Amino acid sequence: MTSEGKYLRMTKNERIQHFLLLSSFITLVITGFALKFPEAFWVKWSIFIIGKNAFEVRGVVHRIAAVVMVAGSIYHLIYVIFTKRGRKLVKDLWFYRTDITDLRDSLMYIIGKRNERPYFDRFSYIEKAEYWAVVWGTVVMGGTGMMLWFENYFLPIINVSGMNIATAVHWYEAILASLAILVWHFYFIFLNPDVSPMNKAWYTGFLTRHQMEHEHPRELAKIEEEMLERTTESSEKTE
Amino acid sequence: MMTARRKFVLIAATITFLITIVVLVSNTKFLRATGTDDCFACHEDKSLTADRNGKKISLYIDPALYKKSTHGDMDCKDCHEGYKPEEMPHNPNKKKIDCKSCHDNVKPLENSVHKNKECYSCHNPHTQKPIKELKANNTSLCLDCHKNKNVKDFTTSIHYKKNIGCDGCHKGGHEVQKINKGDIQNVCGKCHGSNQKDFNNSIHHTVLSKGNQNAPNCVSCHGSHKINNSKMTIESEACLKCHLDEKLFPGDEKGSAKFVAHYKTSIHSSIQKDGKPAAGCVDCHGDHTIEKLTDPKESTVKARMINTCGKCHADEVSKFNNSNHGKAFNSGNKEAPSCFDCHGEHDIKSVLQSDEFSKINQADICLKCHSNNKVTQGKDNHTEDYKSSFHYLALKDGNTAAATCSNCHGAHDMKSAGDPTSNINKKNVDKTCGQSGCHTKELSEYTGSVHEVSLMTKENSDAPNCVGCHGNHQIKSTDSLGNAEGSRQRGIIKLCSSCHASVKIINNNNLKNVAGTYLESFHGLAVRGGSTQAADCGSCHGNHNIRTSSDTLSSINKRNLGKTCGKCHPGASEVFINSRIHTLITDEDNPMLLWISRIYILLIIATIGGMTLHNILDYRRKMKDKKAGKES
Repeated sequence: MTSEGKYLRMTKNERIQHFLLLSSFITLVITGFALKFPEAFWVKWSIFIIGKNAFEVRGVVHRIAAVVMVAGSIYHLIYVIFTKRGRKLVKDLWFYRTDITDLRDSLMYIIGKRNERPYFDRFSYIEKAEYWAVVWGTVVMGGTGMMLWFENYFLPIINVSGMNIATAVHWYEAILASLAILVWHFYFIFLNPDVSPMNKAWYTGFLTRHQMEHEHPRELAKIEEEMLERTTESSEKTE
Repeated sequence: MMTARRKFVLIAATITFLITIVVLVSNTKFLRATGTDDCFACHEDKSLTADRNGKKISLYIDPALYKKSTHGDMDCKDCHEGYKPEEMPHNPNKKKIDCKSCHDNVKPLENSVHKNKECYSCHNPHTQKPIKELKANNTSLCLDCHKNKNVKDFTTSIHYKKNIGCDGCHKGGHEVQKINKGDIQNVCGKCHGSNQKDFNNSIHHTVLSKGNQNAPNCVSCHGSHKINNSKMTIESEACLKCHLDEKLFPGDEKGSAKFVAHYKTSIHSSIQKDGKPAAGCVDCHGDHTIEKLTDPKESTVKARMINTCGKCHADEVSKFNNSNHGKAFNSGNKEAPSCFDCHGEHDIKSVLQSDEFSKINQADICLKCHSNNKVTQGKDNHTEDYKSSFHYLALKDGNTAAATCSNCHGAHDMKSAGDPTSNINKKNVDKTCGQSGCHTKELSEYTGSVHEVSLMTKENSDAPNCVGCHGNHQIKSTDSLGNAEGSRQRGIIKLCSSCHASVKIINNNNLKNVAGTYLESFHGLAVRGGSTQAADCGSCHGNHNIRTSSDTLSSINKRNLGKTCGKCHPGASEVFINSRIHTLITDEDNPMLLWISRIYILLIIATIGGMTLHNILDYRRKMKDKKAGKES
């Protein structure tokens, strides 16, 4: 436990990665749905503001955001392979048997059949689902997006029906991802009573003790244990 | 005592004397007879002249003519009573020759204008011919004295040529008269009875009989002595003499001199036909029968106008009679136009020269009636739109090939669209727009298109002709297509969708909902979003030459699909050949797509539903805990 009650959640590197992801994701959502709902009021407004070439601008921005997201994802891949903290991240995000019991306990807790919350570690099943959904989504959206972007290259390969499938998948996955972020991620970082009004870790990098106690008690315990060991060691040394 | 010889001499002398006496007596008669010869001794000299009141007059008398004359066997002295041949002058007492001493039964001259003239003013006693001959030649006799030009020109007149002499009008012989102005029509009417009758019913006569000195009679128009074939004399000048006089016809109303003066600028006046104006006043207004302009019998009243114009313009009038205008007019519609409602009256111009009939101004003539639904009773709201049309704007910019009203509707033969022979009938519109000099290329493209074939072969087809897509009066340039929509593509899509997204039309014609599938495709979404590059309907289907995919000439025929798609998707062109383009995600002919869609939808509902439920419960529970924590 640090004296200020701050527990490192995201390093600066990770915060930059997260920021690239969030900004490109939001951009992609806006510019993507603007294509699908061209008559929506906010699309009309933006067309009005941007002017005659709004549609082309929309396409270019969507592709830039896609490139940023894919580039960020590739960097992330390198990060999780080649850095110690990255490898630990994947290890901590991996699914274990405890996640199933945690899920069960959590469901029992929220429906009132259990008094205690599960004893979550650094990443709960909620966050793990979140992470892997992003991985899955990025691969699907990136893949289908590339097909649509370079349609004249892919058409001879996947044919018109393949193109139609790519279009459909890109569309459904977009809905799924957007709603998932909205319902799942935004709930846990904004509405969630433990962190409300907002979990500031995405830009401070730290969680408070209160948040740690509620959200990541096992991690907190581990940290404190570790610190205790260290203090013991150092005190032993000093002694 | 006389001897026998002396006796013989005495007897012989007596006989001789007696013979001499007899001869003398008989010679006296001879002498009298040869008295004429004595006169001719001098008067057969052609150069014999005398001064009479300062004038040199000929005293020559042709003896041959005299002998032949009715007085030929009379002695000079029978008339020249008391003349003394040996004295100069022969007639010192100036005793007048009294014809009446013989001709005591001639009609008196008292009633004639010649009452103060001597008999021999007309009847030359020395050459006097039988009265019959005299009658036959009366004109030349009159002209001996009546030498003023007007009268002299009588010999060039039609009357003279037809052997009608002075006596024809002025009465002959001893009753020769001047003709009073008021009597002229009666005099003329003796021969020209029917014309007189017409004239007596005319406005001219009405005014004349009211005592208007300016009103014309026969000679006012026809002239008097120099009268000629009516057409030759009655040129418009005769009418215009009076009708251009602003004192006689003041103001600028119909009928005024100013109004009539426009005739001078008209095509009727300015072009010539057989050396005369193409149409003079009488050609339209009639001649003797001329009536007040408002009189229903007048030949230029609206109701009779078409007959009057039709005298020369028969083709146009027969076309007009078959036109909508003509039908309405002939059925008594007071609003329907007659000739002059469009062409004007006295100022009528050739449509080729007239400024009013120039293409740019022609619409104004039509719009006099066809605006604000004045006459069309709400059937046509678009006529005024013409002024905003590309056709009109092009004309304004000086493109004289652009269409004005009559180019599409016809002029005299304009008919409503419902008429199968109308230029603007649904089945004829393409030929009208594609007429030579206009949209011939587009017509050739359109001909054979699915729209054209359907329109021409099916009754009540919904298929569009030119105006079906381009509109009619308010037709815009294709460049401006979609101006209101934001892009040309959107304009086209809206246009095609007006039929291809109409449930009624789709059902009636067994069409597919191509608009719906297009609008959900990337092409459609892009265009809806304002893209100016994505394909619209025309990019693939063409515009005028749209054909069904089974037609080998179609741009979407399998054979041509590669080329059509290849315009935008080079290299990818081959893959389109066996692909359906207008598909929806839910289309069952792509089962893989269908199943992926179903799975995704299920996934979305399950995942997001589960997440939502989870979070609602989570929130409730955490809030409950929080509250409990505070309480405790």
